Amino acid sequence: MSSPNLLSRLWSSVELKLILAWLFVVVGTALLDSNHTYWTDASGASQLIIRRTVLLGFFALGSAIIIISGGIDLSSGSVIALSATVFGAFMILLDPEGFRNGQVSRVAVAAAIAGTLVVGGMIGTLHAWLITRIGLPPFIATLATLVGLRSFGRGLAPTLTGGKSQIDFTDTALRNAIKDVPTITVLFLVFALVLWFLMSRTVTGRHLHAMGGNEQAAKLSGIRTDRLKWLAYVLGSVSASIVGIISFADDGSAKPDIMARGYELNAIAGSVIGGCSLQGGIGTIPGTILGCLFLRTVIDAVSKVVGSGADIFEGMIVGIVVVFAVTFSQRGQRVSSKRYFDGGIGWTIIPILSLISGLLTMLFFGKQDWYGSSYAVIVGLIVAAALTSRAFWESRSARNITSSVTS
Amino acid sequence: MTESIVSMQGIGKRFAAVKALDGVTFDIPQGSLVSICGENGAGKSTLMKILSGVITDYDGTLCVDGQEVRFSGTRDAEHAGISIIHQELNLVEQLSVAANVFLGREKRSAWLIRDDRSMLEEAGRLLKELECNVPASTLAGSLRVGDQQLVEIAKALSLNSRILVMDEPTSALTESEVERLYRVIAKLRERGTTILYISHKMEEVFHLSNQIVVLRDGRFIAQLETEKTNPQEVTRLMVGRELESIELGERPAQGKKLLSVEKLSLAWPGHARGFRLKDISFDLHEGEVLGIAGLMGAGRTELLECLFGASVLAPTGRIVLEGKEIRPSHPAEALEAGMALVTEDRKRLGIFTAMNVGKNISLCELVSMRSGPAVSNRKEQIASKSMVDKLLIKTAGLQAAITSLSGGNQQKCIIGRWLLTKPKILLLDDPTRGVDVGAKAELYRIIRQLCNEGLGVIVTSSELPEVLTLSDRIMVLSEGRQTALFSRLEATQEKILEAATRGFFASS
Repeated sequence: MSSPNLLSRLWSSVELKLILAWLFVVVGTALLDSNHTYWTDASGASQLIIRRTVLLGFFALGSAIIIISGGIDLSSGSVIALSATVFGAFMILLDPEGFRNGQVSRVAVAAAIAGTLVVGGMIGTLHAWLITRIGLPPFIATLATLVGLRSFGRGLAPTLTGGKSQIDFTDTALRNAIKDVPTITVLFLVFALVLWFLMSRTVTGRHLHAMGGNEQAAKLSGIRTDRLKWLAYVLGSVSASIVGIISFADDGSAKPDIMARGYELNAIAGSVIGGCSLQGGIGTIPGTILGCLFLRTVIDAVSKVVGSGADIFEGMIVGIVVVFAVTFSQRGQRVSSKRYFDGGIGWTIIPILSLISGLLTMLFFGKQDWYGSSYAVIVGLIVAAALTSRAFWESRSARNITSSVTS
Repeated sequence: MTESIVSMQGIGKRFAAVKALDGVTFDIPQGSLVSICGENGAGKSTLMKILSGVITDYDGTLCVDGQEVRFSGTRDAEHAGISIIHQELNLVEQLSVAANVFLGREKRSAWLIRDDRSMLEEAGRLLKELECNVPASTLAGSLRVGDQQLVEIAKALSLNSRILVMDEPTSALTESEVERLYRVIAKLRERGTTILYISHKMEEVFHLSNQIVVLRDGRFIAQLETEKTNPQEVTRLMVGRELESIELGERPAQGKKLLSVEKLSLAWPGHARGFRLKDISFDLHEGEVLGIAGLMGAGRTELLECLFGASVLAPTGRIVLEGKEIRPSHPAEALEAGMALVTEDRKRLGIFTAMNVGKNISLCELVSMRSGPAVSNRKEQIASKSMVDKLLIKTAGLQAAITSLSGGNQQKCIIGRWLLTKPKILLLDDPTRGVDVGAKAELYRIIRQLCNEGLGVIVTSSELPEVLTLSDRIMVLSEGRQTALFSRLEATQEKILEAATRGFFASS
């Protein structure tokens, strides 16, 4: 009785779809990449993807919990930048001598890490207060800290470094220890396991889901929604602080003006790709991890195929992947029965999408030796033809339904 | 009679696996007022949505004036002269009355500039015709429900509708507003407008209509001349069996005093009246059902919210539970004290659509279902299952989606959720709203059973017969004040109605 049920639930889960899509991307890249990096340097390639996934995953999980509980956190990029700065600041203040010589005392490092996490907690508390007591919508509250905290970090850096806009990480041994991929991976898995347990096995986790699904009903069920919001936003900011500490080591310097800029949207994208609903109440920790893995793998795949300068395309890829992932994971809607190209908007979008595809072809593959100058136009025309036929097919099948009902 | 204006032939509609309508066929005579009767889920609203172009995808054919039509949307139906006034009114509250009347077909003067003045004049004229004395420039959101409804009717008039569908129009109206609506309906009929009227209230149906169409389980059952039938027959056709008069048997002996409320008041800053509730005093005993009657806006829901710590402002006065004064400032504290509240608006304030039946039931009592820090699946299932069994909840299992249950069974899940917390007092805010007749009787029996177990119950209802059936005592509210407190023997529908519509100044 329960096993076919379980199987069908597994089959329709976002997690399985993501794993399949991920495998598809990995195999595709292994075949398309002209350097065949996935074959020749498997461990290097996987280390790169894992490091990126972990760095995104930490604060994407925080972001996911906030989204599941019905909120949104736009500030994580700035919290990362500020936390890196604060981490540096603590080390400078606690052991100025050691920091200058590149040998910070272990006690000072531990205190600096603890202090940075406390600052993360303070930021989360600030968010919770703005939202529950002042009554700001989460979007506004975290928009304010998104711009505010980064600027706070920029103000902080010069006062500690004697006028420089960035703090350099001088202690090489410590740096290597913090950014060590196996260590942060294990740390991440432990963190994820704790959050998974919290969200799916504890009363608090159930209450977070309930609050995200229907906040008023949750409150009327005797759930202390304000405390839950505090927890969610603190987890969000603390997880961003962890990323701040690691990124400081990873980048070798804390540049509060440009560090982790726009990352908050990657975290939201990872959560949404992983099946979290922005309406709240729906989403899982494993799904979010897979969402981040998929996102980072696609970005890596494009950089492998395109070659140098691929970081330019990161934003485009995130945008495209989010649109596709959410389109195809919409519940209860068959792709075949939807009318994407209906009416005036539908027909107008066809030349726009064709133009985008043509231009992307040129940008992505323009530097490859096999690329011919007419390829972009050809791709654009093929896309236009495909979409037009889909549009015709949609309008025909719509008419068929109507006529079959009438007759 | 006269020739038919609308003719339905074999209308059918499926929602996923559920047949909402199945081969419904009947004609509507020109200029008549036809009541559509049926239990919840009988398909009345679906049929009316098809007629008014809200639903465009259905089987069968619809003829208007003898011509087959297939509307592509509400605008198409409006062109054919058909308008619908939904139970939940469709007004943009932030826009003026006039803007609402002409929404989507705004008048324009030269150069395509919106002509607000002529719309205001026209809307004002229509409102005056409908005995509605509000300026057309008022914001729609600031009007009373009765006036909002007239705005919708004005909109239909401005469209020159020949066929008007009204879906339970009186459910939120005061007595004087109902009378005004009746006069408006009479006026519309003089003009020759055909009206389809959906209502649960038999009095209304027999007062207004000249024909009655009965639907049951999506099928057409009968079309009767009102003069030649009676409420009993219509009810029997609706339910498909003789409705046993609900007799709940012996009432339990009343136990000790559970709750006493003294001079409870709730302020309403910024409102002319200044209060939502004023000086409410009553008490409640073990095994007793206290009914609270009153019109919409009388303060029924607000009173329960105060008791449950869910009001926006803190109330004044004393709430004493088992000899101890409590001042709940959050539902969690009320829950702790032994209260439970089943809210009025089940969809908005009750169920969690993203969770299954089991999780919906266990939600309030998860703390006691833990083993270690984790929620034990086994304990949770046992607890949820116990409520499914006790309350006879019809579900495909604990894993089933809560949205797959009927309204009555969803309501039972919520009652089960609260019973798991072992409350001393159960507050039920209009528990049978949107629940069909059969499930209603079952809910009544559950309430009685809970009383027998020693629970004190406070129940509000918008239906007087329900209050009379359930309650040992009945408190009547009018405009935030307590206007009467009847024992079961004293109470009659007339007395309660009189008290519910009594203005405060008239009574003092």
